Amino acid sequence: MHITVNGESKEFNQAEFSIADLLEEAEVDSPEMVSVQVNGSVIDRSHYADTTLKDDDEVDFLYFMGGGRR
Amino acid sequence: MIEFNEEQLQRYSRHILLADVGVEGQEKLCRAKVLIVGAGGLGAPVALYLAAAGVGTIGIADADSVEISNLQRQISHFHHNIGDAKVDSAREKILAINPEIKVNTYYEYLRADNIREIIRDYDFVVEGTDNFPTKFLVNDACIMEGIPFSHGGILRFDGQAMTVVPGKSACYRCVFREPPPPDAVPSCSQAGVLGAIAGMLGTIQAAEALKFITGAGELLTDTLLSFDARNMDFRKTRLHCQENCPICGKNPGIHELIDYEHGGCGIKSSKSVAA
Amino acid sequence: MTTAIKTRIDASRDCRGIGCPMNLVYTKVELSRLAPGQVLEVILDHGAPINNVPRSVIREAHEIIGQNRLDDGAWQLLIRKV
Repeated sequence: MHITVNGESKEFNQAEFSIADLLEEAEVDSPEMVSVQVNGSVIDRSHYADTTLKDDDEVDFLYFMGGGRR
Repeated sequence: MIEFNEEQLQRYSRHILLADVGVEGQEKLCRAKVLIVGAGGLGAPVALYLAAAGVGTIGIADADSVEISNLQRQISHFHHNIGDAKVDSAREKILAINPEIKVNTYYEYLRADNIREIIRDYDFVVEGTDNFPTKFLVNDACIMEGIPFSHGGILRFDGQAMTVVPGKSACYRCVFREPPPPDAVPSCSQAGVLGAIAGMLGTIQAAEALKFITGAGELLTDTLLSFDARNMDFRKTRLHCQENCPICGKNPGIHELIDYEHGGCGIKSSKSVAA
Repeated sequence: MTTAIKTRIDASRDCRGIGCPMNLVYTKVELSRLAPGQVLEVILDHGAPINNVPRSVIREAHEIIGQNRLDDGAWQLLIRKV
């Protein structure tokens, strides 16, 4: 399966692949600090496990970024 | 029309020379009112560049005082300002650059019960705080008041910015929905940030404010600009207004401002503490 | 050597002795006060000023309707505002 992640083309062997799987595969440390957009739609955090990806999906990981006081 | 005097023509000559700014654009800048939320890593360069650009009225909201650990990146604060209110320190530098600027300071916490009244007077808001409760508060208040704003965030070697024009472009909540659980937010003191990153992102935000006021160029609307300074990778991610956005979507569920609980940094109330 | 052309001039600015880029700043200030179609006369020094100012003015889509050498060696530039 071919998925574009943050603009980079990636191939995955799995037939069934959820957003939660992709976050794990991409070794995202703290998924709570990421907002996920699939083909332009922001996915509700509670649906990461049950949203499956299709061939040629475009996924963006958008990181929460605050700042660095002190 | 403003009749610029000789000193102003010299001071603003590099703007007037720009085809996309010119005399008219400089007049708009001199009449503009911009509020900076957070006089820290991001707010500091924003304040200096807006002052240099001649933005007529600059508001600064921050409830914090200058500490020595701020000086690594918060470039409007100098060694002699340690212990001063950040808003006063920033005002001192704004006026040192350009004594013609009117500076309004808000040495207070921005909360659900005061933010709308404060931002209402401004044409544009630059949000440069380090905490998510304030980021969401600024987003929601700006959507409710119809005031465009720039979001900025920095962490370690990374930065991100987006510009929101209410009713026209995706808002912060379209993308980030709600603050992350407080215990997931890396404690700021542990994460660290390369000082110059604050300048990189702050000047991007200042440029967005100047572009909005003058109408020059294309804003970072419906766009999240993010960069990683380790390898100087810049990336733009296209964003879209989300129909189910709780504040600007079709059936918004948020009708009143929310003071979220602060976590991570041990900040207790909704402080407009800067990055 | 030509003499200044006879055309209706709506505003004039003498930029003799004023270098780049302030001569262009003054030119732009004068142009901003005019209505589209009106004509501005600017007097520019020979050399860099007369080489640079017309080019910048054209880049902003205004029309150069005349460029004439004056007796003292300076240049008269006539600009029609876009």
